[in-house]
Amino acid sequence: MTKALVVDDSKVMRDMIIACLRGRPGLAFTHASSGLEAIERLSLAAFDLVVLDLNMPDIGGIEVLEFVRGQDRLRTLPILVVTTRGDEGSRTRAIEAGASRFLTKPFTPDLILSEVGALLDRPAST
Amino acid sequence: MSTPVDLSEFLTAYLAEVDELLGTTSTMLLAIESASRRAEPAPMQVRELFRAVHTIKGLSGMVGVDAIVAITHRMETLLRGAERRGGKLPRGAVDVLLEATRCIEDRVRALHAGVSVEEAPATLLGALDALELDVAQLNEPASFTLSLEPTIRSRLTALEHETLIGAAKAGRRVVTLRFVPSPTHAEAGVTINTVRERLAAVAEIVKVVPLAMPRSESAPGGLVFVLLASSVSSESELATAVGLELGAITTVAEPATAVMPAVPEDATRVEVDDATGVRRAGAVRVDVSRLDETLERLSSLIVARARLAREIARLHEAGVEVRELRLIEREQARQLRDLRASILALRMVPVAELLDRVPLVVRGLRRTTGKSVQLEIDVGRDELDKGVAERIFPAIVHLVRNAVDHGIEDRAGRLRAGKDEEGQLRIESSAVGSGQLEIRVIDDGRGIDREELARRAGAPVPETESEVLALLCRAGLSTRDEVSDTSGRGMGMDIVRRIVVEQLGGQLAVRSERGVGSTFVLCVPLTISIIDAFTFECAGQRFAVPLASVDEILEVDPASVRQGPSSAGLDGAGLLERRGVAVSVVHLDAVLGLARGRERVTAKKGLVLRGELPVAFLVDRMLGQQEIVVRPLLDPLVAVAGITGATDLGDGKPTLILDLVALAGGLVTSRRASARARRVELRS
Repeated sequence: MTKALVVDDSKVMRDMIIACLRGRPGLAFTHASSGLEAIERLSLAAFDLVVLDLNMPDIGGIEVLEFVRGQDRLRTLPILVVTTRGDEGSRTRAIEAGASRFLTKPFTPDLILSEVGALLDRPAST
Repeated sequence: MSTPVDLSEFLTAYLAEVDELLGTTSTMLLAIESASRRAEPAPMQVRELFRAVHTIKGLSGMVGVDAIVAITHRMETLLRGAERRGGKLPRGAVDVLLEATRCIEDRVRALHAGVSVEEAPATLLGALDALELDVAQLNEPASFTLSLEPTIRSRLTALEHETLIGAAKAGRRVVTLRFVPSPTHAEAGVTINTVRERLAAVAEIVKVVPLAMPRSESAPGGLVFVLLASSVSSESELATAVGLELGAITTVAEPATAVMPAVPEDATRVEVDDATGVRRAGAVRVDVSRLDETLERLSSLIVARARLAREIARLHEAGVEVRELRLIEREQARQLRDLRASILALRMVPVAELLDRVPLVVRGLRRTTGKSVQLEIDVGRDELDKGVAERIFPAIVHLVRNAVDHGIEDRAGRLRAGKDEEGQLRIESSAVGSGQLEIRVIDDGRGIDREELARRAGAPVPETESEVLALLCRAGLSTRDEVSDTSGRGMGMDIVRRIVVEQLGGQLAVRSERGVGSTFVLCVPLTISIIDAFTFECAGQRFAVPLASVDEILEVDPASVRQGPSSAGLDGAGLLERRGVAVSVVHLDAVLGLARGRERVTAKKGLVLRGELPVAFLVDRMLGQQEIVVRPLLDPLVAVAGITGATDLGDGKPTLILDLVALAGGLVTSRRASARARRVELRS
């Protein structure tokens, strides 16, 4: 089972993301409703994929990225940032902070599935 | 691999979440406005507002509501600018933001109603754009320092600094709390979420900083959270509240002594905190239709139990020992009743949440009438059924409008009367007896002038309060000469009475003293059940049946009904062919034993029952389809199988609600019973 952590403060958004990703077999989902909860879960258990929102009540996705990438154990964890902030500045900031890929809301099920596919199906060597 | 996921399935959930976010938006805007009246910024509220708007935008984009995306995008840009400037908003911004909120609400209502959503008004978008330019003109806040470890200090924004310093100046203690997550903590349910919730109950959290630390036995996750907060509690009180040892808490700034709290917490603010406190704790959001579905499933279970009881009675008649069966059956009946009560309890919503929008209504009235009004809402933790809440809300809004518009005097009038310049409007509630809630709308205005009321109504001067109420509720009566913008003519008291008394089966009362004020008392049941129903006529009487129990309505020519073998023992029963399947046909008037005049109606409608039993009930005329409020028949003398309750279709006369499933069930057993009787005793 590939363990995915879906981080978004909106329950509806989390449900939508998970509904979209169910199209890919072999994924098991855990979710976090805040950036802090995400960091806590990531530090206590191992995950294979993170889907991360940028705007959240306590600490935002950029801070989560900065924290995660500062940890040796989590440096190569695939993280897909999914956000409403579609501007180039946000994308650059997210990528600089360590996002593996970047997807703008609204997205279609196919789009997020192909993003996740690109993250999980790459050869193990890279 | 592509998956057909239709995100429009999330529309209901989307609407519910947006409704909630709009509630936050309104309360935050009002809090920001009341802060700006004191010439203060409201950084935390602006940030909260920004977040709510941002989330609405994101969700609206996903479900494709472009008009709302357009509005929220501009609100968001404006608010982000304000947040960067310490929560300062340009003059007039709150008005435009409120207007924007209203526009979003209109569109949400349209989505609810399933009608097409209008585009965002260009004037509003223009106004928001203009404000954004104004924000850029505002000055950045001055910077200052706070004594903290450098690792943490470097993570604070200027706004967060300012908030913490401001708290210390206002006499609050500023603390850091260190929380090290671990599997042991997590198993005990102690996570960053619970720690934060518990701390938030006794302190205002400004920031949470995650810090990496070497992994060790005491820090298995290699992580520590540092929470920065201000509070009026002591270190040990905070430690106890959060459930961590005292060492976890460090005071960063002692409360500034001899400093009066800068501003007394204003009423609006307190309301906001209370209301959100009541509703957020561990809540689950459920579509009401799902609860109704659950209740419906339960109803069929209750019908099944009734059949079970009949079968037990049959066994008993046949001389079988049924004592144990009876005990089980009774136990089951009790469990079903409890289950029903539990499901009904799920439909309860806090009255505080219901009244969320009233401050906004009063604010609008303050502007249009130019009157000064203080609103106080004291409803504690009272709850009402969602259906009751939805119906009662317009009545409360009517009473609030009336109170401000007609009850409370203008400034000059109040000063002449020797009253405080600011009018007082109060909404309070309390539970009365079992299953009833009393809501009181109280103003300290001019009270009702009975002579004037009598003159306008062209009736004798009322002597008692109930006579006053009766006159007030006459349709089309207005106690003022001019038609006012806010209340219009007719005042809607008639509508208030109709909602409270006719729809909800409650009581309405008024207490009013000339020159002192008026109190309207609404006493309503805590729960009602509302169903979609077909209404029809049979043998000159009106009836209602739940929509859900009817599969189809057929045109039936009585001549095409054939007498079938299964009809024996039933007056007028027969068979009808529907799409190649035989359907039993029964005349409802015969089943109910209704007397009918000489003439027989020839053309009939047949209501085909949903479910395993293909039965069509013949009635005379369909009247329509509507939502009805079910009032259970409580008198055991009228507890008749097949009749679930009564309703008021708006004519003031009770209309019986039929349970066709039970009626059909009864027919089957009585048919079997009569067949058996025929076999055994060669009777009939």
